[in-house]
Amino acid sequence: MRRSPAFEIFRYAAIALALALTLLPILWMVSMAFKPIPEWSATGADLTWIPRAPTLDNFRFVFGESTSDLIVALERTAWRPILASLLSAVFGTIIAMVCGTAAAYGLSRFGSGKNLPLALIQLRLFPPMAVMIPVMIMWAFLGLIDTWWGLALIYGIVTLPFAFWLMKTFFDEMPREIEEAALVEGCSRFRVFMKITLPVMRAPLASSALLVFILNWSDYLIALLLTTKNWVTIPVYMASLSSSMTGQLYGAKAALGLLAAIPPVILGIAIQKHLVRGLTFGALKQ
Amino acid sequence: MSATETLPGAAAAAPRTIPPVDRESRRLGFRLTLPTQLLVLFIAGFPLLMQLYISLTDWSPLDGVGWWKAWESWNSFANYTDLLEDRRWWGALWRTFIIMLVCVPAEFLLALGLATLFMDDFPGKRIFYSILLMPMMVVPAVAGYMFFMLFQSGGPFNGILSALTGMDIRIAWLSDPTLALVAVMIADIWQWTPLMFLILLAGLVGVPEDQLKAATLLGANWRQRFFTIMLPRIKTIMVIALAIRVIEIFKIFDTLYIMTGGGPGVATETISVYIYKVTTQDLIWGYVAAIALVILIALSVLAVFAMKRMEAAKNGGRA
Repeated sequence: MRRSPAFEIFRYAAIALALALTLLPILWMVSMAFKPIPEWSATGADLTWIPRAPTLDNFRFVFGESTSDLIVALERTAWRPILASLLSAVFGTIIAMVCGTAAAYGLSRFGSGKNLPLALIQLRLFPPMAVMIPVMIMWAFLGLIDTWWGLALIYGIVTLPFAFWLMKTFFDEMPREIEEAALVEGCSRFRVFMKITLPVMRAPLASSALLVFILNWSDYLIALLLTTKNWVTIPVYMASLSSSMTGQLYGAKAALGLLAAIPPVILGIAIQKHLVRGLTFGALKQ
Repeated sequence: MSATETLPGAAAAAPRTIPPVDRESRRLGFRLTLPTQLLVLFIAGFPLLMQLYISLTDWSPLDGVGWWKAWESWNSFANYTDLLEDRRWWGALWRTFIIMLVCVPAEFLLALGLATLFMDDFPGKRIFYSILLMPMMVVPAVAGYMFFMLFQSGGPFNGILSALTGMDIRIAWLSDPTLALVAVMIADIWQWTPLMFLILLAGLVGVPEDQLKAATLLGANWRQRFFTIMLPRIKTIMVIALAIRVIEIFKIFDTLYIMTGGGPGVATETISVYIYKVTTQDLIWGYVAAIALVILIALSVLAVFAMKRMEAAKNGGRA
């Protein structure tokens, strides 16, 4: 459709405004991450938009270096929370993808587990806070409190609905001819699934796994409840960072926040195509 | 979408969607779904019974007895009747509703407006689109910290207001009960408008171009095209987008808790924050279990409803 020039001007103006509002909080954090301590809380007329003396001190600080006389070097550095976030999110993703993909195939091809779609929607619907009492009791009983594998297990369960629904829509769409040809050749159905279906579905599997990973990586509440010290994740660690001498460690937290925010943003852009499907449980496709 | 419209396609697909289910397939299907079934049972079956049991007692982890011995502090339905008179709980529920009533419509309208601007191609579309989606991918806790910084009394938000008005504005957003709630809502709108935008745009792009062209030829102006062609076509999609956001608002925690911790006082305490505080500070888990069960039952009803809408969307909304 042809548009009038007035419309084009309006469109670019509206989009420019939306972009500015979108980027403001992000850019402020990026800028803060590179500010030296004196610029952290400059206010009023001194409000610094772009760091006057950009520095990497904030990043060095969260990894344990002493960068200034004003703040004591951290006893517990960001390394371990990063490791905790990575391990729990990766293994949570593996649990969700393995179980979800298998179940989705079982339902899509053989009609098994007809109760799962509704059961998993309900699982997805519940506020995590409303099921955490039994989970905390069970995790304490099983010795899973404050372990990365305990977190990975609950992450796997919480994101299982996404893995299941996403893979189900992909399996539903996949043409059957390839599988049928292999069946005629005499392959068992399980071999067809492992050797034909899964390799064909490489790309959908990868984007589903990335979405699940982003969701696991983004958790704060569950880690806050199920970890105490040794395996706190990045968001929990970030929130707990403060110093008795300077109060809020603005720059250090911003540096950490930036590190935590980068992976999901990049991965999210990479799987843009499948985001709609993933987040609406396959009800919509792009 | 009527059922008759989908019939021809459904009939053609029928022979292929119902494969001959022999014993081998049935057994494999059972085995493939087993791990998921077990996980669902593990997280839903047993815990729900445990929750129900504890919710009828005054049990607390500080009691020094295991949860299975919670009957020692049996109190029948006292937790449920207490809930009716718990003003903090009603306040939290009410606040959650307010946030929903402000944020969901705001996100919806902003997203719909933006989505209509992105319907056809124009230079820069792809990169603008990617940037506009960024907020929803930022870790919510980090987003909370971003807005915590923005709303400091000497922070950039006041800085922009000062620059615009020429006055030195030092509003302490996060320590004023009303403004803290506003700040929390702004953060939610910032983070989740992109999700609505993404979904609505996917719907709008699916509106057939020729229908719009035909309408234009017949002399329909953009307003008529928008309200009589586009909106009806994406009705189901709008319902899905709204349902997702309504559900998510009930879970709101990360961003808000980092920004205000539910404060000042209880000014920004939502149901999730309230439950979190009772769980970790008051430690009356019997009571928490009762609250949680009430929420679970209410949301289960919603789940059945949402499920039906999704089925409806699948059968016709995308035609």
